[in-house]
Amino acid sequence: MEASVIFWLFAAAFGASALGGVLGMASGIFIVPILTLLFGVDIHVAIGASIISVIACSCGSAGPFLKGRLTNVRLAIVLETATTLGALTGVFLIGIVSTGFLYGLFAAILALSAQQMLARRREAAQAGTPDAASWATALRLHSSFPDRALGREVHYQVGRVPLGLSLMYGAGLISALLGIGSGVLKIPAMDAALRLPIKVSSATSNFMIGVTAAASAGAYFVRGDIDIGIAGPVALGSVAGALLGARLLLGLPADKLRIFFVIVLALLAVQMLLSALGVSIPGGPA
Amino acid sequence: MSAAPDKQARRDRGIAALLWYGTWAASACIAIGMALGLVPSSGGGQGMGLYGYRFVQAGVALFILLPVARVALMLAIFLRERDYAYTAISAFVLLIIAAGVVSGLH
Repeated sequence: MEASVIFWLFAAAFGASALGGVLGMASGIFIVPILTLLFGVDIHVAIGASIISVIACSCGSAGPFLKGRLTNVRLAIVLETATTLGALTGVFLIGIVSTGFLYGLFAAILALSAQQMLARRREAAQAGTPDAASWATALRLHSSFPDRALGREVHYQVGRVPLGLSLMYGAGLISALLGIGSGVLKIPAMDAALRLPIKVSSATSNFMIGVTAAASAGAYFVRGDIDIGIAGPVALGSVAGALLGARLLLGLPADKLRIFFVIVLALLAVQMLLSALGVSIPGGPA
Repeated sequence: MSAAPDKQARRDRGIAALLWYGTWAASACIAIGMALGLVPSSGGGQGMGLYGYRFVQAGVALFILLPVARVALMLAIFLRERDYAYTAISAFVLLIIAAGVVSGLH
């Protein structure tokens, strides 16, 4: 591979990852379209490279969230049982399903996520006394985080864990199939089922993405399905971009972040639907 | 109850440190490999050259291992805190990841 191609892979990953970091989602959702449309890379190679960059982004940006005590570590490991099981299922399925189906699935997931984000614009977090009989209480998941804007500790309850686990299984499955972090599925799942404060759900989702992606990436790596020459520069660019994006995220207001989230998801959904239907994008490779 | 956030904060800082330094190590490996690939001389070869390729490959492998190491660290922390429910949950996650890798070998 030429040095200029390696540079552009790095640069594209950097840009995509900085944007993804601002949105609180892994850059895989941008990496796959960039690699297939701009670089003419095979979709399976793109998925393999993307899943590495997804891990890199998650690990590289986890620090500030953990130090700010925004990440609910207990909740993360509980939900990771479901996301990794989903990823394992995806590893078995990826050899069976067709590429067109994957694109269509991608579009459907994006549209669903955009719709969910649009429908729920307010904080879903619950206050009050925890339900003593709930899974969340038994697993000691209720927690608190220091809200810098309010200048005090905010306590929150964790909602329906069984529903959260089933949604997370789906998120893990999609993550392995499409090479994305599935932040677009994890964050709505955390809002709708678990009813977490937005900052907690973003931080915890980001934290889980690395382990979820590692479950499928480990299998793809030993299979030899990961193109090192593409995955390397993309991962490096992604880390650099994620560090920049994570810094921006901590200062951004949640409302504006959500509106931006919806617009990007809708645009990506249209683009993926076109790909599923076999419509070529002008300027892309023939 | 008041001691809980302190314990949590200390545990979270340990995990943050692992992920932060691990990210640096993996990124450095990839960067070194890419830099070795930029040095021409050996000429004609497929881009990075063997040494460069090995470095990038090691960096990619390190990235995949990093979240796994994070779960292993959490397992150790929960075990030290005698939190057996969460020790079992962490072990289960590791087992699932191992199952994926083993399936890839066949």
